[in-house]
Amino acid sequence: MKDTELNRRDVLKGAGGVGAAGMLGLAGCMGGGGGGGNAPVEVLHGWTGGDGATAADALEEAFNEAHPDTELDMNPIGGGGNQNLDAVVANRLQNDNPPSSFANWPGPNLARYEGVLGDISDLWEEAGFTDSHIDEAVDLHQYNGAFRAVPLGSHRLNCLFYNVSVVEEAGVDPDSLTSAEDLLGALETVATETDKIPMTHGGSGTWTKAQLFGVMLLSTAGYDSYMSFVDGSPNRGDVVGALDALATVFENYINEDSASIGLTESNQNIIEGEAAFIHQGNWAAGAYRNADGFDYNEDWGFKTFPGTEGMYTLHFDSFLYPSNNPSPEATRTWLEFVGGTEAQIAFNQYKGSIPTRTDVDMGEFGPYLQETAEDFANAEQRPPNIQHGLGISAEQRSALNDVIASEFSGPYNVEAAADGIVDAVSN
Amino acid sequence: MRDILSSTRTRLRRALRGGDSDDDAVTDDGRVATDGGTAAGGAAGAAGTGGLLDRLDERIGEDFTESAVFWLPPFLLMGLFVYGAIAWNFVISLTDYQGFVGPDYSDLDFEMYVRAANDAGVIEATVNTFLLVVSFTAVALAFGLVLAILVDRDIRFENTFRTIYLLPMSLSFVVTAQFWLWMYNFNNGVVNILLGTVGIGPINWIGNSQIVLWAVVFALVWQFSGYTMVVYLAGLRAIPREHFEAARVDGASTLKMYWRVIVPQLKGSTISAAIVLMVFALKAFDFLYSLVSGYRPPNGTDILATKMVREAYSVNNWAYASAIAIILFLMALSIIGPYLYYQYSKGEL
Repeated sequence: MKDTELNRRDVLKGAGGVGAAGMLGLAGCMGGGGGGGNAPVEVLHGWTGGDGATAADALEEAFNEAHPDTELDMNPIGGGGNQNLDAVVANRLQNDNPPSSFANWPGPNLARYEGVLGDISDLWEEAGFTDSHIDEAVDLHQYNGAFRAVPLGSHRLNCLFYNVSVVEEAGVDPDSLTSAEDLLGALETVATETDKIPMTHGGSGTWTKAQLFGVMLLSTAGYDSYMSFVDGSPNRGDVVGALDALATVFENYINEDSASIGLTESNQNIIEGEAAFIHQGNWAAGAYRNADGFDYNEDWGFKTFPGTEGMYTLHFDSFLYPSNNPSPEATRTWLEFVGGTEAQIAFNQYKGSIPTRTDVDMGEFGPYLQETAEDFANAEQRPPNIQHGLGISAEQRSALNDVIASEFSGPYNVEAAADGIVDAVSN
Repeated sequence: MRDILSSTRTRLRRALRGGDSDDDAVTDDGRVATDGGTAAGGAAGAAGTGGLLDRLDERIGEDFTESAVFWLPPFLLMGLFVYGAIAWNFVISLTDYQGFVGPDYSDLDFEMYVRAANDAGVIEATVNTFLLVVSFTAVALAFGLVLAILVDRDIRFENTFRTIYLLPMSLSFVVTAQFWLWMYNFNNGVVNILLGTVGIGPINWIGNSQIVLWAVVFALVWQFSGYTMVVYLAGLRAIPREHFEAARVDGASTLKMYWRVIVPQLKGSTISAAIVLMVFALKAFDFLYSLVSGYRPPNGTDILATKMVREAYSVNNWAYASAIAIILFLMALSIIGPYLYYQYSKGEL
């Protein structure tokens, strides 16, 4: 009889013990963010596959070589085009458990992290980044009067890629296209002269449409109107003009299955010679480089998006600096490295982007990226992109994508979409 | 086991009361803290503990405090992690919380709900959610019933058929969404190819906002009608053979027999299957997310769940997303509530 009583009490004690251990464990998790000066740099990024993964590995290796004393904990979170990364970052920032640094876009996009980003102005000063990076990078990495992030590389957005044999079959010379009208004419020629898709489009998400709208607006309305668009005073007539051109493209010249395919499948149409043109950021070129027997200038070509010659639509991959940083000193080491020549060469040559510094020797890069870097250096204007954080805030971008989803994913209601878009970005 | 429990209970009772002679005596026995403490604050032997326990016993029944060890831990865990989370979510929806600078709990109002009521996106998502739930549940039930009746008619390879129909249910939404995305492809999807052989189409299943919701419903029905079939099959097996025979003897046709005699007896199965299906439909987020690998499903299929996640993680509008979550919760509650009441009134709960 005595035994049962003991058992009962033991069970209870045991249960209490387990509960207490659980609470301790929970507390341990919650308190895990704090750390001393030797805490490793924990870096979150979204490059988990293909070029991105190779580039991130190269970056990690270069860092370990340059700073053997600083421990680096690279933490890739893939999926959903950075959506999963953003969600993890959001949850951690909300729980006051920020990583040392995380990859994201600078510019107005920084507004979404209002209040949780630290000031690294002195780091920019000390490392001389304000002189070694292009002016646009210097501007776009500040928010509320202080530097919040460091750029790692830049992709170009106003690109038009084409399959050489398809455009030759159609008798189109891409280099002669210098306006949106020229482009529409060329698409018409491809449609009549060949049985290929004039312009392949992966439209399972809205981002490709929003991105194409951005470059179309730049092309049809010009730099000044585009800049007033991103600054919050859009000209409705110009928006309508861009949407009209877009509607013509979508209604006549894209693949019929565009709604059920994404960028990867769409880009495959170029590689397999099923389509003539594609508009994308120059990350699309990574797939061409990885395809066997598909060479630059022989099998695929690049043309600045017609009507945007002399411009380079900017995109930045940057690392942001959260305040309440778990490893302030080590994070500074990391960010100083990211903005340096070594890191930018190591990362960008694999990622298919170019350094944001102006003093990098492009010898190790392929011919296509060398040309891109040249265009970058010589560009008369470098307008910020719309869909990737530099032109408008996350809130505006979301509203703009809502409008495109509801009014401009077939049927294409130009007037309603124009009203919605103007409304979405107006101050 | 029963003996041990009952003797333990007696001993516990004695311990709690501090002796057999005086039931109201306050005890300072340490065991009060061990056992009763969970309910009464734990201060060993604090004056009034015994009295409180007695009053609780009087009010709720003899077993209340004694059985606390068994029901209290799960009660607390559920209370904290389920109901506590819901309550907290509701409180957040009353704030203006957005971005990463913590919520301000001093200024609570229903502003977010007003905003939701005026947001065309939320209204459309609510309508879509409702259409999805109703049509998916109705079609999956009808389809499952027909399958169950067919499989139940002593056919050959019955088990094989049952497995074939149930199999899609075992697949994850991520897999089935990718399947159907390929099958719905305009150019080379198997759906359009099949329809093409009989001269229909091709139809833009995903790109046409009028159709896409029904395409999603069809895919979900495909996945879940096997489950409905199993539920109905269990219901059919529970109906005594005599009912079939009696109906036959009375001269009912097969159709009439099922319609008048058998199907009415499947009410219980229908209700429980319908509840599960509706809850699945509310969670169709996974399917839509996998369909486009993103928070923004094809135009015409935006449901509250996708809208909620988009508000929360694309633009960090936590309060607004919480309000949408509460709307979704109320929709689920309006389905589950009547069911629970129905069960309760039948004495099955």
